[in-house]
Amino acid sequence: MAPPVQSQRSPSPSQPSGKGEVSDLKLQLRQLAGSRAPGVDDSKRDLFKKVISYMTIGIDVSSVFGEMVMCSAASDIVLKKMCYLYVGNYAKVNPDLALLTINFLQRDCKDEDPMIRGLALRSLCSLRVANLVEYLVGPLGSGLKDRSSYVRTVAVMGVLKLYHISASTCIDADFPAILKNMMFNDSETQVVANCLSALQEIWSSEASTSEEASREREGLLSKTNVYYLLNRIKEFSEWAQCLVLELVAKYVPSEGSEIFDIMNLLEDRLQHANGAVVLATIKVFLQLTLSMTDVHQQVYERIKAPLLTLVSSGSPEQSYAVLSHLHLLVMRAPFIFSSDYKHFYCQYNEPSYVKKLKLEMLTAVANESNTYEIVTELCEYAANVDIPIARESIRAVGKIALQQYDVNAIVDRLLQFLEMEKDYVTAEALVLVKDLLRKYPQWSQDCIAVVGNISSKNVQEPKAKAALIWMLGEYSKDMHDAPYILESLIENWEEEHSAEVRLHLLTAVMKCFFKRPPETQKALGAALAAGLADFHQDVHDRALFYYRLLQYNVSVAEHVVDPPKQAVSVFADTQSSEIKDRIFDEFNSLSVVYQKPSYMFTDKEHRGPLEFSDEVGNISIGIESAGTVVPVQRVEANDKDLLLSTSEKEESRGPSNNGSVYSAPSYDASAVSAAASQTLLELAISNPTVSGHAPQPSLEIDDLLGLGLPVEPAPAPSPPPLKLNSKAALDPSTFQQKWRQLPISLSQEHSISPEGVAGLTAPQALLRHMQGHSIHCIASGGQSPNFKFFFFAQKAEESSTFLVECIINTSSAKAQMKIKADDQSLSEAFSALFQSALSKFGLL
Amino acid sequence: MPPLMGIEFLCRVADVLSDYLGGLNEDVIKDNFVIVYELLDEMIDNGFPLTTEPNILREMIARPNIVSKMLSVVTGNSSNVTETLPGATASCVPWRTTDPKYANNEVYVDLVEEMDATINRDGVLVKCEIYGEVQVNSHLSGLPDLTLSFANPSIFDDVRFHPCVRFRPWESHQILSFVPPDGQFKLMSYRVKKLKSTPIYVKPQLTSGAGTCNVSVLVGIRNDPGKIIDSITVQFQLPACILSADLTSNHGTVNILANKTCSWSIGRIPRDKAPSMTGTLVLETGIERLHVFPTFQVSFRIMGVALSGLQIDKLDLKNLPNRPYKGFRALTQAGEFEVRS
Repeated sequence: MAPPVQSQRSPSPSQPSGKGEVSDLKLQLRQLAGSRAPGVDDSKRDLFKKVISYMTIGIDVSSVFGEMVMCSAASDIVLKKMCYLYVGNYAKVNPDLALLTINFLQRDCKDEDPMIRGLALRSLCSLRVANLVEYLVGPLGSGLKDRSSYVRTVAVMGVLKLYHISASTCIDADFPAILKNMMFNDSETQVVANCLSALQEIWSSEASTSEEASREREGLLSKTNVYYLLNRIKEFSEWAQCLVLELVAKYVPSEGSEIFDIMNLLEDRLQHANGAVVLATIKVFLQLTLSMTDVHQQVYERIKAPLLTLVSSGSPEQSYAVLSHLHLLVMRAPFIFSSDYKHFYCQYNEPSYVKKLKLEMLTAVANESNTYEIVTELCEYAANVDIPIARESIRAVGKIALQQYDVNAIVDRLLQFLEMEKDYVTAEALVLVKDLLRKYPQWSQDCIAVVGNISSKNVQEPKAKAALIWMLGEYSKDMHDAPYILESLIENWEEEHSAEVRLHLLTAVMKCFFKRPPETQKALGAALAAGLADFHQDVHDRALFYYRLLQYNVSVAEHVVDPPKQAVSVFADTQSSEIKDRIFDEFNSLSVVYQKPSYMFTDKEHRGPLEFSDEVGNISIGIESAGTVVPVQRVEANDKDLLLSTSEKEESRGPSNNGSVYSAPSYDASAVSAAASQTLLELAISNPTVSGHAPQPSLEIDDLLGLGLPVEPAPAPSPPPLKLNSKAALDPSTFQQKWRQLPISLSQEHSISPEGVAGLTAPQALLRHMQGHSIHCIASGGQSPNFKFFFFAQKAEESSTFLVECIINTSSAKAQMKIKADDQSLSEAFSALFQSALSKFGLL
Repeated sequence: MPPLMGIEFLCRVADVLSDYLGGLNEDVIKDNFVIVYELLDEMIDNGFPLTTEPNILREMIARPNIVSKMLSVVTGNSSNVTETLPGATASCVPWRTTDPKYANNEVYVDLVEEMDATINRDGVLVKCEIYGEVQVNSHLSGLPDLTLSFANPSIFDDVRFHPCVRFRPWESHQILSFVPPDGQFKLMSYRVKKLKSTPIYVKPQLTSGAGTCNVSVLVGIRNDPGKIIDSITVQFQLPACILSADLTSNHGTVNILANKTCSWSIGRIPRDKAPSMTGTLVLETGIERLHVFPTFQVSFRIMGVALSGLQIDKLDLKNLPNRPYKGFRALTQAGEFEVRS
């Protein structure tokens, strides 16, 4: 007889003897199958439980398949459930056996009890055996018409499962149309919700192949459909509400009043107990009001409180997810949250990932009125037990200092850190003081006094050491023992493991030499000798470069290595604004939690079909915001050891540039003599990867000029009839909306010249060129031979917009253009302008 | 997939499972594979959450309680699946079982508040906030309609409601009107910020030099809430650089746990003296002064008071056959109450 349930308390001992146990079970099941004795159901149940628990812990019990099916002919619902589970688990690997069960599942689908009908139908659809799909269609069809809502709910999901096993069977049976009908007419909201989710999935994956499906998918976003779902939203379960809200977030209302209607209707959802509903609602609000700046701001004010409450309630996982979203919003609109800074104070026993987010938010919301308190708070964290957080908070203090006008008090605080005598605090503080000095050279006297007291022996971390050395070189005039400290560092050259530090040492000793030649000459000689013998390629090259430079002309060398510097006004962000915008568009998804847009962590085939410009791949999507003078620097992953490119970028890239050359000159081609630049070029050529960047300096200057010009850009000598606004601005989501709404007004195909194809090896050049013609790129992508660009332009003195999709295939030398325009009568003129711009680039 | 949808759902699954199985750990799940499978079957289908409302689930799948286990052993005839389809799936108040019947109609409303406070090393209250919940335990027959109003609803900074709360009456008159689920549930949660003071004070003082550190911590009542403050404990983590600690108190007990956590349980504050803990910490050799300052975490409980000052005005019940019993309670606990040194 089967043992009582309690004996299963420790299933592990039975695990090793799996084989014998299974055959034992088989025997017992066979005996029971035919028996009609009273209590037989009960013993069957115990046996079934045993089978299930074996199955769950990974013992293969598929050999009792036949017996299981035989035994479950009884009407006991628990037995049935267990049997369904068993069958569902093993049918996929044993299609032949699965055929056995079809019969009894089909019979159960006609049972009187709706629960059994539903369960049987669910199991039937979960078999996932391709050659059995023909048996599914009948029961599904009647399931969809069942009078019990439970069965209908199951059947709708069954259709989706059928679709995934065999799409053609599902479409042939016309199930999508039935589901669509049900979605509008069924009285039970769970059925409606399931229909919606099934249809979304089916039509999205069909859309790529069938025109009709993509029309239907658009149809889901139609006004009638969205309003129908919105009006019933309160009847839906909380999960279904999330589904509906997600759909609504994609809806583009045709007029302003609609936006307010929808927001009024959904406002109470912000108070829902389920955080998923709240966030989905917030997404709807944010998306709807994107184009209405002041309302958008009010939305931020409105959603602030619910978000803050969500953070303080619930499990750590929930609050972290919410906090990530809050983080995103704070970064976008710090001023709105500046009075709530106390919410971002860290609690002692919060996990450090939460603290890190909070520190970033504290940094962002700091403004004139709250800086003092925030910095005080941050300084307390510096004494924190948690060292990474202590480091972060020191960095945060530094960042606040870099973004504030009144840095007086903060500098004092930073200098206090230096005196705290904890190595990691000193290290972080040194790096910060260095950045601070680059922005506020006027503080050098105070800082130098304190930095001078730090013994270089106490600083071990490469970053901090590099910072200290940089300061020694830069301010060697004011630090009277600078040459001697450098000298002692050079003596220990062999023990210095970090190439970064050695690079800095070389540069610093050069600078020191220019300021105090007699004292430094010996050290410089030693450094260059050590550098030339260095096994690290970059260190070796730089030493050689300096050596030749000095050999050629010392004053030129000084100009190259230690030119007068301008204070850095803005340090570049590590994450470009285009990426941030993308993350914002993907609000309420994992992108926000990972702080990466979805294309960076999903496989290409899984990217949503609604995604805009989905061939992004590994390239840069340039959302060129016209108006900023500094062009968006493309962050190439492999550029960190390229001397040439880092030195160009140094002023704008700043701290994100690991291993870069702080001392390198801000590049001024005209001032450097030919010989010097020749050496640079030699270096560049010796490093093959540089060649791609070589044309950049001149291009950038072009670009600066093009942008610097007022409304009238540099287009053709004979001004075209259509003038474009050179400062046109359009955010990606508006672009997407417009692209969806507008019809194609012009579609053309041109063949392109071979020179143009060659020019496309660096698509950025094309984008810059087009920008010079007041045609801005909003997104670009693709890999050779296919390139795809989205451009936009605005008519001067009017807000009439032109949108262009341009697909270029370099192997067939063809360019396809689709032009959409607010004012269609102008699209011909614009097309001419666009083509002339392309031909000037040599493409046409 | 929205991350919160996943997390919320998993939390819900965990809640339901521990409700069914009386706990949630590996062994419990291993013992109850079948129930877990049955529950998951109803809660999610094809990756989309279906029924998560415990009341409905309870009707579809019976709990594996001791009684039914006994019954099944004795009579050999009990199924843990109920025979009929749940009524509530079709009803317009999905959170409520169709028609529960109770001999004694009772409803209990509890205000449970947690005070989060941060006091910096100068003794200044940096942040003080209350997170509160209104928990209701209802055992009412039929389909009752309840109205709960507060004496001072204006103190709320933000509120969140159980789906049963109707939004309009709150919007216009700040009253909670709802048809309650059966049993225990969280009617609303709220936040009250910018509180001015805490009920007790904790004053730590650390002075270090010459390889040792003198500690003294004083605890006392600052603002008498009018009720007894109970289960006061002060906890802090000893910095890693401390070799040994010798701490004594004039009231309560001091324990130093294996993970270098020092816990001082005070209990109630006596009338005649102010509790204090004093002692010395010996630092590792070579370290003169302490550079890492511990944070003191304080916990306490006060029965009978909601420190936010929230007061329930009245609770009206409609649609009930006989007069029910109404009970109210309040409780404040320390949440994240920390004092830096």
